[in-house]
Amino acid sequence: MKDEFPTERSLEHPIIWVAVIAGALGSIILLNAVAWLAFPLVLAIVLYYLVQPLLQRLQLSGVTPNQALGIFLGAATILTLIASVTILPALFNSLADLQNQLPDYWVRLQSVLHNNLLAIEGRFHFAKKAGLADGLQGQIDQFVAGSGKAYLADSILFLVHWLPSLLLVPFLTFFFLRDGTAFHRLILRAVPNAFFEKTLLLFDRMDGQMRAYFRGMFGLTLLDTVSLGLGLWFLGHGAGVFGFWDAMLLGLICAVFAWVPYVGSALGGLVAVATCAVKAPNEGGLLFSVVLLFLGVRLLDEFVYTPMTVGRALRMHPLITVMMIFSGGMLGGVYGLLLAMPLIGIFMVLGQMYGEIWFDPRLRARQQARNLLEKRLASKDLEL
Amino acid sequence: MNLLKIFQTPPMDSQLQIVSGVPVFRECTRTELEALRLHLHERKFLAGEIVFDEGEQGEGMYVVISGKLRATRKGLLKKKTLGNIAVGECFGEMALLEAGPRVATVVAEEATTVLAMFRPELVQLAESRPRLGYKIARGVALVMEARLRRIAEGQPEEVAAT
Repeated sequence: MKDEFPTERSLEHPIIWVAVIAGALGSIILLNAVAWLAFPLVLAIVLYYLVQPLLQRLQLSGVTPNQALGIFLGAATILTLIASVTILPALFNSLADLQNQLPDYWVRLQSVLHNNLLAIEGRFHFAKKAGLADGLQGQIDQFVAGSGKAYLADSILFLVHWLPSLLLVPFLTFFFLRDGTAFHRLILRAVPNAFFEKTLLLFDRMDGQMRAYFRGMFGLTLLDTVSLGLGLWFLGHGAGVFGFWDAMLLGLICAVFAWVPYVGSALGGLVAVATCAVKAPNEGGLLFSVVLLFLGVRLLDEFVYTPMTVGRALRMHPLITVMMIFSGGMLGGVYGLLLAMPLIGIFMVLGQMYGEIWFDPRLRARQQARNLLEKRLASKDLEL
Repeated sequence: MNLLKIFQTPPMDSQLQIVSGVPVFRECTRTELEALRLHLHERKFLAGEIVFDEGEQGEGMYVVISGKLRATRKGLLKKKTLGNIAVGECFGEMALLEAGPRVATVVAEEATTVLAMFRPELVQLAESRPRLGYKIARGVALVMEARLRRIAEGQPEEVAAT
């Protein structure tokens, strides 16, 4: 049949491309508008894809899907209880220490920045003429005294607003895990017969894409955290800059930043360098080593870790990637930055399949024939 | 006396009863068939409606629950009817193994209800329940074997060749 009805394939059509980009950006706007719901929903989807292989392993040992879910929930509850007794108090202590040290770090960061700018002014006449160091210091002071406080208040309000919605995450994940297949069937029931097989294929591809993406990102974050954490610890523990867990935490923060391609990696690097500059302002060699470490891990990430984990399924032209990230960030803030890539991946599969269905004249003809049959059946005993 | 009914296994859903008689699923236990039920999609076709076309990429197999279908194949001059497919029979099972082109067109002769099972879902099911996956794959292989044997013996092509 393919020979008789040549189909214009997938994403080759410009209208489909435009629809894919518009769909992804539109979803970002929509998700941002209902952020309090979108955030737990996205987290629940990520958890669903992470937990699903564990349930499958349990099922392989002979238990039913519901028993596997029960075992998992029991284990998760016990682990949460243990964590709340052991890890959480330590974490709160660390956070309290961090809170006490923050003003000191802030002063040190400003001092490092100021000293470096003064050094630049000493070397370049135009920088001295522009009053780079004093100008920036003035702007920082102004920001802290004025809008900085407002930003802080807004951020705290934002946190207070969405934190309760996090309670939805285990609830949503549980139902995704328990009723995912039934929900899938329910949606498929609405698909006309002619497009049914192709739509099922679409669901399968989309599911595969999301599963690969979220599991891959989880693996990638682990690998990045361990590589950066061990590297930072190795470089910094001699000078007493980093303890093991400090290094690992910094590695984790940088790895999480790297979820946003290109932009996030650069920002993560800045965070690592800034932390070193604050903790050891006089260790120029350490700073240089951290930059080298960061570049090394980025290369490892690009050529070894990413192909091993996320793969190249979501790879697209870097220009489109950067444009999508910035547009996503502009339209949906942090959500937009984080969701731009997975959303464009999903919409690419949707566009590809829609293109395959829409440009297949035989499938459309079959659907029209069905409509005619239905009409004929409905008006069989009527005199028209 | 009525209390004893609590311990009796409830009768199997009528659609599953039909499925249990299909050669592909014949080795499956009742529990396995009930697990399989979640992956069987009910579709209703009107008389004259095409289920799939010859040459189209196949994604799964169908079990007839009610109604009747006809399988045809393109001939040199006109369509060649391979035969009818009745309640309790399955068609398109080759697609459970590989996404190859369909070898015949199947049309509903009358209002028909079928249960469809698709390869991607079977693969997923086999990952979590390999024993069931093995039984189904073996069922498909046995159907193929029987068909090849008939062809080797020079018997005419049948509906099952879809």
